[in-house]
Amino acid sequence: MTGGLPELDPVIHAQARLRVVAALSPLGPGDRIAFPRLQDILRMTAGNLSVHLRKLEDAGYVEVVKTHQGRTPATLVRLTGRGRVAFEDYTAALHALLNGTAEPPEES
Amino acid sequence: MEARDDELPPLDPAESLRLIAREQATTTRRLTPDPRLLLWPWGLAWLIGFGVFFLRFGPDERVLVDMPDWVPLTVLLGSMIVAGVITGIVGARAARQVSGPSSRQGAMYGFTWSVAFIGMATLFSRISDLLPVPEANLLWAGAMVALTGALHMAGGAIWNDRSLFVLGLSISVVNVAGIIIGAGWHALIVAVLGGGGMLVAGLVSWLRMAR
Repeated sequence: MTGGLPELDPVIHAQARLRVVAALSPLGPGDRIAFPRLQDILRMTAGNLSVHLRKLEDAGYVEVVKTHQGRTPATLVRLTGRGRVAFEDYTAALHALLNGTAEPPEES
Repeated sequence: MEARDDELPPLDPAESLRLIAREQATTTRRLTPDPRLLLWPWGLAWLIGFGVFFLRFGPDERVLVDMPDWVPLTVLLGSMIVAGVITGIVGARAARQVSGPSSRQGAMYGFTWSVAFIGMATLFSRISDLLPVPEANLLWAGAMVALTGALHMAGGAIWNDRSLFVLGLSISVVNVAGIIIGAGWHALIVAVLGGGGMLVAGLVSWLRMAR
C-alpha cells in the first residue's frame, strides 16, 4: 500500500475488461446473457470479446457456458459471485481514490 | 494482438466511474423491452374495445351507434387477444437475450395472465346468459379490468416497479368508480381513462428511458 490508496484489481483494471464486467453487472444473480447480445451492447468484435472473457474466466470472474436453445447453439455469459464482489471492490476503490477519503496507512 | 490497445487502464477514477455508469445504463436500456410495445397495444385495445362497447351499450340502454349486439364483446376480446400476442412476442424476444431466474419469472408472470383470463372467461361464459344484457356486459368488462389492474399491481410488486404498480392501482380505482356509476358509463370511463392512461404511461416510461 502506498499513500493509503486502495489497490486496483489488475484483472478489471483494463478498459475493455472493466467495460465487460460493468455491462454484465446489472443482470440479476444467476442470469446469463447471450454472447451476441453482450457483443452488441459492448460494440466489440467477437474475437476481442472472447479474448477478454477468457481472461475474466481464468480469474473466476465470469462463467461462459455453451448450450442449445432449441436447435441453435448458444453461448451464455454470466458474472460469478466472485466477479461481482471484485467489481464492487473496484468501484469502491475508485470512489475512494476520487474522494481521497482513503484512510492514511498505519505507519509501522 | 487486437486486444493490446484496450489492455490500457482507464485514464483516471472519474473517467472510470463514468465508463461504468455508461455500460450499466446501456445494458439496462438494451435488455428492457420498449414500454411502448408493452403498453400501447393494450391502450389501443381498451380505447377501441370499450369505445365500441359504449357506443352500442350506452348509459340507460341507449344505443348510440346501431350494430349487432355481439359485435362489442367480439371486438373487445379480439383486440385484447391481439394485444396479448404482441406483448407475448415482445416478452419472449426479451427472454431470449437473457436466461436464468429473471426470464423464468417473466415467463411465469406471462403465463399467469393467460391462466387468469381463461379461468374468468370460462366461468362467465357459463353464467352471463342468465343476466340482463347491461349487467352481463358490466360483469365481463368490470372483471376484465379488475384482473388487469390486479395483475399490473402484482407485476409492480414482483419487479419492484413503482410506475407499474401505480398504473395497476389507477386502473383498479377507475374500474371501481365506473362500476359504481353503472353499466354504459363504465365502458366510456374505462376506454378513456384506462386505455388513454396506458397510452400515456407507455409514452412516459419511454421518454424516461430515452433520457
